[in-house]
Amino acid sequence: MFPANFDYVCPASLAEAAQFLNQHSEDAKILAGGQSLIPLLKLRLAAPQFVVDLGRIAELKVIRETNGGFEIGSLVRHVDIERSHLLARGCPLLPETAAEVGDMQVRNRGTLGGSLAHADPAGDFPAAILALDAELTAASAIAQRTISAQDFFVGILTSALYPNEILTSIRVPKLGPRTGSAYVKMSQQASGFAIVGVAAILTFDEKGKVTEARVGITGVASVPYRAKKVEAALRGTAASAKEIAAAAALASKGVDALSDIHASAAYRRDVAAVFTRRSLEKAAQRAGRK
Amino acid sequence: MAGTSGDGPSGAGPNGGGRNGGKAIGLRVVGKPWKKVDASAKVMGETKFADDIFLPRMLHCKILRSSAPHARIVKIDTSKAEAYRGVKAVLLGKDLPIPYGILPVSQDEHPLAIEKVRMVGDPVAAVAAVDEDAATEALDLIEVEYEPLKTISSIEEALETSEPRIHDYGEYGNVHRRTAYEFGDVKAGFAEADFVREDITFYEGSTHLPLEQHASVGQFSPDGKLTLWSSTQDPHYLHRSLAKVLGLPATHIRVIATPCGGGFGGKCDPFQHEIIVSKLAMVTGRPVKICLTREEVFYCHRGRHPVLMATKTGFKRDGSITAMHHRTFLDGGSYGGHGAASTFYTGVLQPTTYTMGTYKFDAVRVFTNKAPCGPKRGHGTPQPRFAQEVQMDKIAEQLGLDPAELRKRHLVPPHSLTCNWLKIGTTSLGKCIDKVVEGARWKERFRKLPHGKGIGLACSAYMTGAGTAIYWNNMPHSGVQLKLDRSGGVCVFCGSSDIGQGSDSILAYIVAEVLGIEPFDIRVVTADTDLTPVDLGSYSSRVTLMTGNAAIQAAERARDLLAQAAAEKLEVPANRLVFADRRVVDMENPEKGMSFVDAVWLAEAKFGTLGTTGSYTPPKAPGKFKGSGVGPSPTYSYCAAVAEVDVNPETGWVKVERIWMAHGGGQAINPVLVMGQVEGSIYMGLGEAMMEEMTYRGNRNVVHKFPSFLEYKSPTTLEMCDVVTYLIEDDERETNAPFGGKEAGQGPLLPVPPAIANAVYDAVGVRIDEVPISPDKVLKAIRAKAKGQEGRYGPTHFPSCPMPEPIRVATPWEGGTGEGVKREPALAKA
Ligand SMILES: Cc1cc2nc3c(=O)[nH]c(=O)nc-3n(C[C@H](O)[C@H](O)[C@H](O)COP(=O)(O)OP(=O)(O)OC[C@H]3O[C@@H](n4cnc5c(N)ncnc54)[C@H](O)[C@@H]3O)c2cc1C
Repeated sequence: MFPANFDYVCPASLAEAAQFLNQHSEDAKILAGGQSLIPLLKLRLAAPQFVVDLGRIAELKVIRETNGGFEIGSLVRHVDIERSHLLARGCPLLPETAAEVGDMQVRNRGTLGGSLAHADPAGDFPAAILALDAELTAASAIAQRTISAQDFFVGILTSALYPNEILTSIRVPKLGPRTGSAYVKMSQQASGFAIVGVAAILTFDEKGKVTEARVGITGVASVPYRAKKVEAALRGTAASAKEIAAAAALASKGVDALSDIHASAAYRRDVAAVFTRRSLEKAAQRAGRK
Repeated sequence: MAGTSGDGPSGAGPNGGGRNGGKAIGLRVVGKPWKKVDASAKVMGETKFADDIFLPRMLHCKILRSSAPHARIVKIDTSKAEAYRGVKAVLLGKDLPIPYGILPVSQDEHPLAIEKVRMVGDPVAAVAAVDEDAATEALDLIEVEYEPLKTISSIEEALETSEPRIHDYGEYGNVHRRTAYEFGDVKAGFAEADFVREDITFYEGSTHLPLEQHASVGQFSPDGKLTLWSSTQDPHYLHRSLAKVLGLPATHIRVIATPCGGGFGGKCDPFQHEIIVSKLAMVTGRPVKICLTREEVFYCHRGRHPVLMATKTGFKRDGSITAMHHRTFLDGGSYGGHGAASTFYTGVLQPTTYTMGTYKFDAVRVFTNKAPCGPKRGHGTPQPRFAQEVQMDKIAEQLGLDPAELRKRHLVPPHSLTCNWLKIGTTSLGKCIDKVVEGARWKERFRKLPHGKGIGLACSAYMTGAGTAIYWNNMPHSGVQLKLDRSGGVCVFCGSSDIGQGSDSILAYIVAEVLGIEPFDIRVVTADTDLTPVDLGSYSSRVTLMTGNAAIQAAERARDLLAQAAAEKLEVPANRLVFADRRVVDMENPEKGMSFVDAVWLAEAKFGTLGTTGSYTPPKAPGKFKGSGVGPSPTYSYCAAVAEVDVNPETGWVKVERIWMAHGGGQAINPVLVMGQVEGSIYMGLGEAMMEEMTYRGNRNVVHKFPSFLEYKSPTTLEMCDVVTYLIEDDERETNAPFGGKEAGQGPLLPVPPAIANAVYDAVGVRIDEVPISPDKVLKAIRAKAKGQEGRYGPTHFPSCPMPEPIRVATPWEGGTGEGVKREPALAKA
């Protein structure tokens, strides 16, 4: 179907966009890459009066190296992340995740900010963002604030953003020595969205013991989550195959798993453990596990 | 056209491809990969589909569809919609009270609901407005009050619920059809068996997913004549339904089937929207268009029936089948549609592959509050084929025989009668099995691959055209008219509708072959009820065989006229003339001849305006019992397939790596088009085997879970497996088929799901006795097996339903006549 009629607005600056949203927050929708919004409009699940295109705001399209990390503009496209040399060296988890998103057409248009703001429970980036303990910056005409990844995802298709807020950038740390990361997923066949997607980061000390483990899981529950039980079980171990398998078995413990057309809750739990194990194995190998 | 058809001498030239004549050697067009007549327009985006039609002052139609799955309509208020800007007309059920349906026995549909709705998506009201937006917005202003009725959402529920009834006709309660047959003494057959096994299987429903959504444009001229352009597979049946429901004489209705962007059986039924836009055009005096949304296409459906099956088979140590008792339950959805025929098809073709001593078949179709099921590629037969081919694999294992060898030992012989009185023509199934066994290196790899890797084999047979029409009549199933003009051009007129399979091109190839001209010299006019003689439509793999035979007859008659005229001029006997390379020459003296155009001039001078006709009527079926009309076909195609899979034992994920398919279709009229049909069938079979499902929310709302392309799972190019296709010709020419060419569009789908299920067993040792074979089912079965339980996923319970006394027919080898066995009155009472 064709979308319902709307007015198209294309502000030239962040300030202008923020101003407009402040006035029309209830009747306006932000347009980034359009890969989620346009289908919603076409199905008439959304029928906003205004569509506010951020496409002209150049400052949102940059990846910058900062003190100890990177700042990624919300309008940076999946394909830009996938091909960024800067990130490949300092934060390879993000390019690895980007390469897993949908198909080439989607990656050419979809943006990191759009992916996160859309808060799809099966989106790929939320898992990586959680494992990276990223900080997200949101701006409105009134204020700017920082939201931690763990507080950002509130419910199915619901983020912590207010209607008048624009997600402007995402800050992630640079991965240190003896650290490995990985993202693996089982995808839905039609779209590529995750049935289970697991991002893992492991850091070892010089003796080969795990000092830091962070695991983000998407697709399993209505909100992507940090698998804290898995992390705790690994800390202080050597992350042997056996220890990883035992920890991975806790991947969905205490979590309310989704049941839908793609998979039953029981199946999601089963494969969450398998993919958590695979992700941790990869991360451990990449960290140079002894 | 002047009536010159058929009275010339029957001196067909030696190179002619008559229905009985014509040798494969010497064919110039048939068997070669000629370009399709519509290929350039298609690839350049120039084809005009129904939705591309724009007429002056055209209105747009939108349909309000029921949000309730089963309810009485208490009140409809359309006043606000009628007053809305741009709205020109609003229609309700009472405006079109006459029921219709594709089969004479199931006239249970209305263009718009009359008193009650039977599914979410049932049309309730229609609006015509100046643009699509106005029509869409006006729908929101229509107020409908529903009084909910108890919903029926599964086979079991339908069997248990006598009230409320979804329809007030049928067998009883919510049972639509019951069919029971017994061929031969089945009890004796089971007694003769060394082993008997029964397997319960389930085949999930799926939809056609044509890329083109259904679209139609209706126009009513001031002189009282209606024209409907529509994306339909069956303009002739649509023509009849329009006349019935609109109350117009059929002579005043013209149906033009537009180029069709995919049908697969989903555009066979006459649809509500086709009647609605016609009526709206009559009411408003303006052209009216509708293009369904994808969501509406899911509601129109008519796709694969979900079928639950119990197949009990008695067999000997050598694997020969002494008896089969095959029972099916079909979840029909909310309307009859083709369902009565589908019911037969879930059993009638079982005896066509392996010799079967006796056969009993019980089928039950029920109504549920879901989108109606109907004919999808393979119409009713992929389900029982799945049941049988998976069971054959189990039988082979039980007997310690190789499944390929087992099948080959018991092939139905050519030119034989099956136990249920189907006349088999030529068959190359044995060759097909050999070919895939060789291609897949079966002997070296079956049961020998590492854990997680496996191969599986399955076979199939399919009709090349249904032997009987959908409504009873004595007329031909296909007609062709030829017009020859002074340019040397030939125009072919035929009612067939090209749904992408290439039926227009087939007409051009065949006429070009017979007349010795190039396909490019031929214009093809099809699927227009004003201009073209009737062809029954694009279904049951009938088009190439039936239009092809009609085209051969028309072309041979034209050739005879030209030959007579040319013979006179050349002073040689007409039967010595050869038509080739746009020339007519004396075969004994090839310098002597003339151009095709000159021959046309001479013939027109001699006979007047040149036109011929050809017709085709299928042979009479040997079975004469009640219901014997479903199943017979002029000939059957045969297929064998091997699937190779990679199964991950940790996740249950199945990747189909490759499928080898040998298709025994006789002479390919165009091998590239046949390959395309085989590959398309494999693709569709793969989707059904692995992921496709028409599923509904489990609660009482019976809402389709995902009526959109966004979420309905179907393979993309990324999931498509590698395909190796072999086109296998018959050893002898099938004389019932044009140049010996059989069907290709449906049969190759059938062996795909069972071959994959059998391969999964070879890979990880678990039986998945239902499709789709989704990872969670595989994983469950693997887990169960690891715990020492049965390594199987599938239905375990088969519901019961009182069946009528079967129609009993003695088999040919019991000395039967093909008639139902008359029962002693005393016996009948007992
Ligand atoms: C066929 C297909 C397959 C896909 N497969 C995958 C997959 O495998 N994995 C996956 O993760 N995703 C997948 N996606 C989704 C894809 O990643 C989208 O790009 C992403 O979800 C949205 O990003 P976008 O830039 O296109 O945002 P848009 O569609 O433009 O916007 C999405 C939502 O976010 C809001 N929004 C956008 N930018 C901002 C901002 N800066 N501040 C505040 N709100 C904002 C919009 O208002 C809207 O509500 C798929 C999409 C399609 C169409």
